[in-house]
Amino acid sequence: MGHVQRAIEEAGLPTVSIYVRAFGHIPELMGLSRSLITRHPMGRTLGAPGDGKRQRAVVEAALALLDSSSQTIVEFDETYRTGSDR
Amino acid sequence: MADDETDDIETIEDLRKSFWYGSRSNLSFKYLKDLSDAEFGDFLDELLTEVSSMIDSGDPTGVIDTAYRWQIQAYAGHLGGPNDFPHRFDDVPINPLPKPLSECRVTLLTSSGHFVEGDDPKPFGVESMTQAEAEARIGEFLKEAPSLSSIPIDIDPADLRVRHGGYPTDAVRADHQVGFPIGHLADLAADGVIGALNPTAYSFVGAASQVRLKRKVAPEWADRLSSDGTTDVVFLVPL
Repeated sequence: MGHVQRAIEEAGLPTVSIYVRAFGHIPELMGLSRSLITRHPMGRTLGAPGDGKRQRAVVEAALALLDSSSQTIVEFDETYRTGSDR
Repeated sequence: MADDETDDIETIEDLRKSFWYGSRSNLSFKYLKDLSDAEFGDFLDELLTEVSSMIDSGDPTGVIDTAYRWQIQAYAGHLGGPNDFPHRFDDVPINPLPKPLSECRVTLLTSSGHFVEGDDPKPFGVESMTQAEAEARIGEFLKEAPSLSSIPIDIDPADLRVRHGGYPTDAVRADHQVGFPIGHLADLAADGVIGALNPTAYSFVGAASQVRLKRKVAPEWADRLSSDGTTDVVFLVPL
C-alpha cells in the first residue's frame, strides 16, 4: 500500500493511511505523507469486531492528520480492547 | 537410530516455520518463523503463563498482549537492516488539503482484499477461490500485479466478500469495518466532518508484486482517481 499512497500523492491528491504497530515502521521507511499507527494486532487495524466506537475514533484521528502539510506519523494512543473490555 | 526415524524428528525450527503457510498455517502467528528458537521458547513460556492466568480470571488481556508484543518484535526485524528494505525512499510526496475537510470528497481504498459477491476478481482465473486456497498460493500472489475491485458504499454487507492470503481475515469477516470502514466514513459525511464519501470504494489484495505495483499499477490507479472528478482526498487502509 505504501507505493499506492506515494503514487496518489505524486498525482496531486492528499492521502492518509492507517497501519497497525507491527508495520508501523513502513511509513517512515517509504516516505509516506500521513499515517496513523494503531496499537492493534495485525488484521484488526481499526479495532475489534463490533467495537464501532473505537473504529470510528480511529477513522476520525486519521482524518485529523489531513490538516498537516508535512510528513506526519502519529500513534493512536489506546491499546486493543475486546468485547469483555468495552 | 534408523534413517526413517531421524526424518520424522521435528526440530524447533521446523515447528516455528510450520505456522508460516505450513502444516500449522496460522496467519495470526506466522511471525513465529522470524523468532529465534530461544525467543520462541520465551514466547511459549509467556503465553502459557497468561493462558493459565486466564483460566482462573477469564480475562484474555494478558494473552492478547503477549501475542501483540511478540508480533511487533518479530515484524520489527522482518525487513532486515535499513539497507535491505528495497522500498526505501528519502523524499515524501505530500499535498495539502485543497479546501476544508468538511468540503472534501473522500475515497476509501484498502488492501484488505474485499470485493462484491458476483464480481470476483478471479485470481489466476479461479472462480470462487477459498481463503485456504489463497493462503496456499501466496507465493503466486506475490509475483502478480493486483487488480482493483470497485465496491458501492451502499452495498448490503451480506454481499461483501473478503479473500486475502496475507493476513488473518477472521476479524474482518466478522465485521468488515475492522478494515473497510465505509459505514464510519458515511456517518462522518452525514455529520459534516467530511464533505462526502465517494459512492465507489476500492479494494485489492496487498500481497502482490510490489515491483509491478510501484512501476505500473499504482500510478494507473492514482491517475484514475486524480482525473475522474470523484476525489479530493484518499483514505487508505493497508491490511
